[in-house]
Amino acid sequence: MLACLCTVLWHLPAVPALNRTGDPGPGPSIQKTYDLTRYLEHQLRSLAGTYLNYLGPPFNEPDFNPPRLGAETLPRATVNLDVWRSLNDKLRLTQNYEAYSHLLCYLRGLNRQAATAELRRSLAHFCTSLQGLLGSIAGVMAALGYPLPQPLPGTEPTWAPGPAHSDFLQKMDDFWLLKELQTWLWRSAKDFNRLKKKMQTPAAAVTLHLEAHGF
Amino acid sequence: MMDIFLCLKQPSRMVDSKRMRMTSNFQWILLTFLLLYLMNQVSSQKKRTPHDLKCVTNNLQVWDCSWRAPSGAGRGAAYEVCIENGSHSCYRLEKNTKIPALSPGDHEVTINFGSSISKFTLNEKDVSFIPDTPEILNLSADFSTSTLHLKWNDKGSVFPRHSNVIWEIKILRKKNMEIVKIMTHNTTLNGKDTVHHWSWTSDMPLECATHYVGIRCHIDDPKFSGHKEWSNWSLLKNISWSSDSQTKVFPQDKVILVGSDITVCCVTQEKVVLALIGSTNCPLIHLDGENVAIKIHNISASESSGTNVVFSVEDNMFGTVIFAGYPPDIPQKLNCETYDLKEIVCTWNPGRPTSLVGPRNTSYTLFESFSGKCVRYKRAEVPTNESYQLFFQMLSNQEIYNFTLNARNPLGQSESTLLVNVTEKVHPHTPTSVKVKDINSTAVTLSWHLPGNFAKIKLLCQIEINKTNSVHELRNITMKGVENSSYLIAVDKLNPYTIYTFRIRCSTKPFWKWSKWSNEKQYLTTEAIPSKGPDTWREWSSDGKNLIIYWKPLSINEANGKILSYNVSCSSDEETQSLSEILDPQHKAEIQLDKNDYIISVVAKNSVGSSPPSKIASMEIPNDDLKIEQAVGMGNGILLTWNYDPNMTCDYVIKWCNSSRSEPCLMDWKKVPSNSTETVIESDQFRPGVRYNFFLYGCRNQGYQLLRSIIGYVEELAPTVAPNFTVEDTSADSILVRWEDIPVEELRGFLRGYLFYFEKGERDTSKMRGLESGRSDIKVKNITDISQKTLRIVDLQGKTSYHLVLRAYTDGGMGPEKSMFVVTKENSVGLIIAILIPVAVAVIVGVVTSILCYRKREWIKETFYPDIPNPENCKALQFQKSVCEGSSALKTLEMNRCTPNNVEVLETRSMVPKTEDTEIISAVAERPEDSSDVEPENHVVVSYCPPVIEEEIANPGADEAGGASQVIYIDIQSMYQPQAKPEEEPENDPVGGAGYKPQMHLPVTSTVEDLAAEDDLDKTAGYRPQANVNTWNLVSPDSPRSTDSSSEIVSFGSPCSINSRQFLIPPKDEESPKSSGGGWSFTNFFQNKPND
Repeated sequence: MLACLCTVLWHLPAVPALNRTGDPGPGPSIQKTYDLTRYLEHQLRSLAGTYLNYLGPPFNEPDFNPPRLGAETLPRATVNLDVWRSLNDKLRLTQNYEAYSHLLCYLRGLNRQAATAELRRSLAHFCTSLQGLLGSIAGVMAALGYPLPQPLPGTEPTWAPGPAHSDFLQKMDDFWLLKELQTWLWRSAKDFNRLKKKMQTPAAAVTLHLEAHGF
Repeated sequence: MMDIFLCLKQPSRMVDSKRMRMTSNFQWILLTFLLLYLMNQVSSQKKRTPHDLKCVTNNLQVWDCSWRAPSGAGRGAAYEVCIENGSHSCYRLEKNTKIPALSPGDHEVTINFGSSISKFTLNEKDVSFIPDTPEILNLSADFSTSTLHLKWNDKGSVFPRHSNVIWEIKILRKKNMEIVKIMTHNTTLNGKDTVHHWSWTSDMPLECATHYVGIRCHIDDPKFSGHKEWSNWSLLKNISWSSDSQTKVFPQDKVILVGSDITVCCVTQEKVVLALIGSTNCPLIHLDGENVAIKIHNISASESSGTNVVFSVEDNMFGTVIFAGYPPDIPQKLNCETYDLKEIVCTWNPGRPTSLVGPRNTSYTLFESFSGKCVRYKRAEVPTNESYQLFFQMLSNQEIYNFTLNARNPLGQSESTLLVNVTEKVHPHTPTSVKVKDINSTAVTLSWHLPGNFAKIKLLCQIEINKTNSVHELRNITMKGVENSSYLIAVDKLNPYTIYTFRIRCSTKPFWKWSKWSNEKQYLTTEAIPSKGPDTWREWSSDGKNLIIYWKPLSINEANGKILSYNVSCSSDEETQSLSEILDPQHKAEIQLDKNDYIISVVAKNSVGSSPPSKIASMEIPNDDLKIEQAVGMGNGILLTWNYDPNMTCDYVIKWCNSSRSEPCLMDWKKVPSNSTETVIESDQFRPGVRYNFFLYGCRNQGYQLLRSIIGYVEELAPTVAPNFTVEDTSADSILVRWEDIPVEELRGFLRGYLFYFEKGERDTSKMRGLESGRSDIKVKNITDISQKTLRIVDLQGKTSYHLVLRAYTDGGMGPEKSMFVVTKENSVGLIIAILIPVAVAVIVGVVTSILCYRKREWIKETFYPDIPNPENCKALQFQKSVCEGSSALKTLEMNRCTPNNVEVLETRSMVPKTEDTEIISAVAERPEDSSDVEPENHVVVSYCPPVIEEEIANPGADEAGGASQVIYIDIQSMYQPQAKPEEEPENDPVGGAGYKPQMHLPVTSTVEDLAAEDDLDKTAGYRPQANVNTWNLVSPDSPRSTDSSSEIVSFGSPCSINSRQFLIPPKDEESPKSSGGGWSFTNFFQNKPND
């Protein structure tokens, strides 16, 4: 038993989570990212109101729920709960990062399409915030030692309405983009909250883990 | 014919009687049979020969004639047809024959068929012209515009002549071929085959349903006299949209005019449940299959993202966006001008908004017709009604431009034109790089940069020259334009050593618009020698040995630079003294001089040179006739006037100083020309309420003479202090007051007088308030003689305190007040008189009373002090209501000396006093010790109260009066005693009046007057109440006599029951009513008492 304890103590400095005693660790940046998602949620509510009004009825009606026709390329935020629970931190963060990278790109396309200057300003402001969130997620990933996902060549999302893309389908896509963005922000808030809680009790977890390992 | 006949006959038959009906019917049947027989005979005759010749043509060149073959003629039977057409021509033909068109007119046609010959008369009029059925060469559709394009050949080559053709085209829709439209199209046949095109735009997108098209024609040949008939309908051709199975909505992203109608359809295989325009539900129009359409009438302008039309199927939705807007308005306020003659900028206003944005926004093209060049306006978005602008590069050697601005959007286009000579429409840029350079102290060169090539035109520039604290000056300069944009000009007539601010703006000639002002450029011109010498004055020092020379610094305009120093020189015929290099801030110099005449010369120097000297003589011409005058200014200055004096040849000088300063005093001076007779002296140093001395000097022969000396204020103020005053002398009716002068500094104006107020009043109580409010008890004296320093106030009351107030005033107002209290002395004579007169009156009254008493002593005795008291005269029993009503609550019955025959003592309980105030009762009940204090108030011991009582009865002792017997012993004797000396009674009365004294015993020494009284006395023999109740006195229970009265031995009083209604001594016979009257008074008194 004593030997075991000694072994644990001997290995303590090697445990990365405990090694960060002097360094604040990813905790604050996770908290910041969480706060940022909440802020973006708030910001999106205002933007979506403006933008849906711009799209006109029935897009701005509260019970409007169109089928997801042309928006198949948008990253889906909805996921099975069990699947979501089983995600590890890296995968969780990677999915977030990839989703926002794509959404940001689509959002910039939306900005180019918008007909009024005020709408463009609002969209540009939101894009900047979203860019910030993306950077923040990248920061968290870097702090945890995860590599950033590399965009596959040729899969860079582009916003090409094209001649076949009618205005109506475009509006449907815009609607879905905003909806998906909102769902992603909700999901991210949950993701980062989970991550945050996990990071708050690293020592205990590590200790238990080591004990289990030792025995 | 027979049928008709029969029919006509029939009504007449019907008029016949019924009996005839059977017979008539029979005849009718017979006739019918007869007719049928005849007809059969004729037709059988016909049938045996060719008959019913008919001719038609489809090209007007060949007639296609046909007839009915005779019966029995089989197929392939040959006919010989001969036509008499000028020449006889016969054709051997089968049933039908094509013959060349015959000339107008009747032609005999003979048709031989075997042995039978039929003859017909054939005329062009009987020929029908039925064109060939047209054939649709091609039917195509432009789905994007919902337009059908039809193509067919008119086959005009077969027609010999030019003819008008009417084409009728029918459009059918849906599979059940509902006719949508039938339209006509006119063409002309020109002898050649011509392919015609016709287009039709559908109100419904062509994708929505299958559309069919058919065509027929009608050729209107003017020379053909036969029947012209429509051709047959062509074969229908159709257009349908080959859809993949995907649901689609048509039209997509359509731009239409506001107010128009549009049909939107959904091509689907699913059942459409709902159609929405925006959020409005729309009725469905069912087309083929599950396809549906909706119709939008009078569409309103769309929002920026368009009007959404949505079709909902069970689990999906499809839609389209419609953009309803307006065609572009005519560009308004089109204006083209140039800034630099290199580029033309055209601006315009878009006019009415089109409601179309983004890719459907209006695009503008500026086209110049002379050069054929155009520029296109490209901008993503423009806020509504903001001015648009386009730049057009100028062409060399072209000055006149004809611009056409074309505005175009999907709904239409409009344009606006402008012919402009650009050299007349130059609006230069703002001049830049403004630089200033010296030429000399009064001139500079100004250079600037004006972008543009103005080599061919003239420029008009405006230079604004601003000098500090001065109005700005504008100078217009016309100059020739240059190619290199640099301009240079000299600006003269400037002041040396002055800060100028320059700015420039330019326009061209002819004038069109000014440029904006350039940035300001500040510049300081160089120095020049001072333009004049400083303004100089001199004063002798107080000891008269030194001459102090003063000079004023030169103004900026005069100094022409920074003054560095001054040179002062004094020269006389004999010698010259000079002081040089007196540095600038110092503006005075002192030179020791004798009293000779000197000319003092002062020169100012700056870096460029010296000013001309300013000279002043040291000599002062004496003036014996000098008065000191007073003057008051106007707040900021003071006006001084003087008479014109021709002797004064140089100028006048007014110098002034603060009067409180010591000599030599000089604040400032002012020189005025010798022809002036007045001047206003103004100075920032002047303060209101300060006394200044002004001295007016006149200059004559270079010497100054003091003409006038004036003291004055620019503004008078009220004094700041009150004059100090003292009371010099006081008598019983007067006060002499003396006061001192107020110092000049505190007077703050010319003293105009004093106001002296006085009133009766003590130091503590009296407050001299509202002196100006005209209180009647305040007396005011206005002392306008300012030399007066004393004031005697008379007619005062002796030994009275007076409140005195003194204040000074100027024209500036009242000064503060100073007050004092003085008591006048006592008036001794008055006092003596006041004592002597009452004493004398008292003595006289005493003497007269004594004399009267002496002379009437018998009567008095008889009346008031008889030897035997008459009970009837016992006044104690005569109570007057009025006597008791005025008395206080607690009274003790006091009786005169009565002679009782029998004394009955009755004891009753005292009545408990009734208290009104229940609250007090409860308080009393709780505090029994206090009740004793309350009870005496309500003590019910009744006493007879004579009306003469003046003193308030002291609160009787509660213990004795309240708790003791109800019998009060009244000292009868007391009624004989003088009221003023009740205390003497016990000693005197027992001696004089002890024992019984019968009232009947009247004095023998009665006077004549008393005889009349005796009659009364007879009647009231026995005991009587004393008539004169006034002499009765109340005896308090606690008085010594009352105390004594508790003992019968020592008491002389008659005991009376307070409850008794009857007097203790029964009255004699008829005297009882009087007694009862007194008793009633008692009762009344009792009953009233608690209520008091």
